[in-house]
Amino acid sequence: MGDSQYSFSLTTFSPSGKLVQIEHALTAVGSGQTSLGIKAANGVVIATEKKLPSILVDETSVQKIQILTPNIGVVYSGMGPDSRVLVRKSRKQAEQYFRLYKEPIPVTQLVRETATVMQEFTQSGGVRPFGVSLLVAGYDDKGPQLYQVDPSGSYFSWKASAMGKNVSNAKTFLEKRYDEETELDDAVHTAILTLKEGFEGQISGKNIEIGMIDNDKIFRILTPSEIEDYLNEVA
Amino acid sequence: MSRGSGGGYDRHITIFSPEGRLYQVEYAFKAVKAAGITSIGVRGADSVCVVTQKKVPDKLLDQTSVTHLFPITKYLGLLATGMTADARTLVQQARNEAAEFRFRYGYEMPVDSLARWIADKSQVYTQHAYMRPLGVVAMILGIDEEKGPQLFKCDPAGHFFGHKATSAGGKEQEAINFLEKKMKNDPAFSYEETVQTAISALQSVLQEDFKASEIEVGVVRKEDPLFKVLSTEEIDEHLTAISERLTPSSLTKKSVLINISA
Repeated sequence: MGDSQYSFSLTTFSPSGKLVQIEHALTAVGSGQTSLGIKAANGVVIATEKKLPSILVDETSVQKIQILTPNIGVVYSGMGPDSRVLVRKSRKQAEQYFRLYKEPIPVTQLVRETATVMQEFTQSGGVRPFGVSLLVAGYDDKGPQLYQVDPSGSYFSWKASAMGKNVSNAKTFLEKRYDEETELDDAVHTAILTLKEGFEGQISGKNIEIGMIDNDKIFRILTPSEIEDYLNEVA
Repeated sequence: MSRGSGGGYDRHITIFSPEGRLYQVEYAFKAVKAAGITSIGVRGADSVCVVTQKKVPDKLLDQTSVTHLFPITKYLGLLATGMTADARTLVQQARNEAAEFRFRYGYEMPVDSLARWIADKSQVYTQHAYMRPLGVVAMILGIDEEKGPQLFKCDPAGHFFGHKATSAGGKEQEAINFLEKKMKNDPAFSYEETVQTAISALQSVLQEDFKASEIEVGVVRKEDPLFKVLSTEEIDEHLTAISERLTPSSLTKKSVLINISA
């Protein structure tokens, strides 16, 4: 990829052994809107703030949480345009896997392939790393899973995680409240409370997004009115 | 100790700065403002209207060749604010893509698909060092078969959103403030109201009254989904309607303006 004039990597080692472009990419993620995910006993929930630059923006035209396969969804923190590239590539990889093996791609495999793409952009010529971290939520034969993928291409499985502006407060909150036996509905409430912690302004069904998957293995993005119902249960 | 900005190239190509920013993308936004033109787009209940200034810097120029409003297909229009040359490249590629879409899939490319395609291309320029971002903000308008009138704005960073109303260019922020007030209660503008809101927003923000030859206006309407660039006569009708709507107190303001320019 890239022009031959740029056949050298832009991400190179500093004298101290760090890859500074990746560090800067993580800074870009850290200044993005907060998002989080929680793995429950019978499913996974992911959520994010949806703060738009003006009231003139049509919020129905924006969707930060995306479906990768019928049983895998993803949310990001960081640069929106970069996330679109990764969503597109991941969807294609999932389809190619299905064409070859005639079965849906396992969550771990899809995460691994997406992470590989992100790693390639830290080493290939003439490109910069992606300025996003992804939270991938899925449910397959191995049960509910939640993975976080960073700009470096490293990924880990999480019981609960957060990214973006409010990451430290959110993670502290989640550590206190996390319980392995939690049911999915309670996990949604916890997710909303965590988002509320660092939320500027009035939280509503229009300025957050929630996606969830339970043991029917179908990833769903909640409508604004469904989110309002959960908000009323929490308030 | 880290070397910080990787040799100082973070201002020259699109790699990250230590704060996690892309300076080249930010400079592209500045280039859009530097072009000195402001554009406005408004979405009504059954129509969309875009307006931009038409500045002809030299009397010897052929005015008809100075335009920022381009038809992409019969049904889709694009208003480009910023560097004219970059705008023409973008329009050329968009026209090609929309035509191929029609050929490949057998139906007209929807507004949001074109906006997404333009935004994805812009994202590539922000990630690959060999191409700089384009210094253009594009507003796409059209009537979607299912969703009705649509107005999308795509910027050099690769963002794209649907808008109820928006602005781009030198006086972007002032225009957005004006439009936010007007659109606060989700009004459903008729075609005439849509066009007049757009034009009067531009007039208010630039604090001058226009002649029909000084602005370009493009519209799409549900009842006539073809993208149309209004003629000077049609623009004049709207300008007259706007000035006739003025109350006595604002007429006084208008006469003050006339005095100043006299």
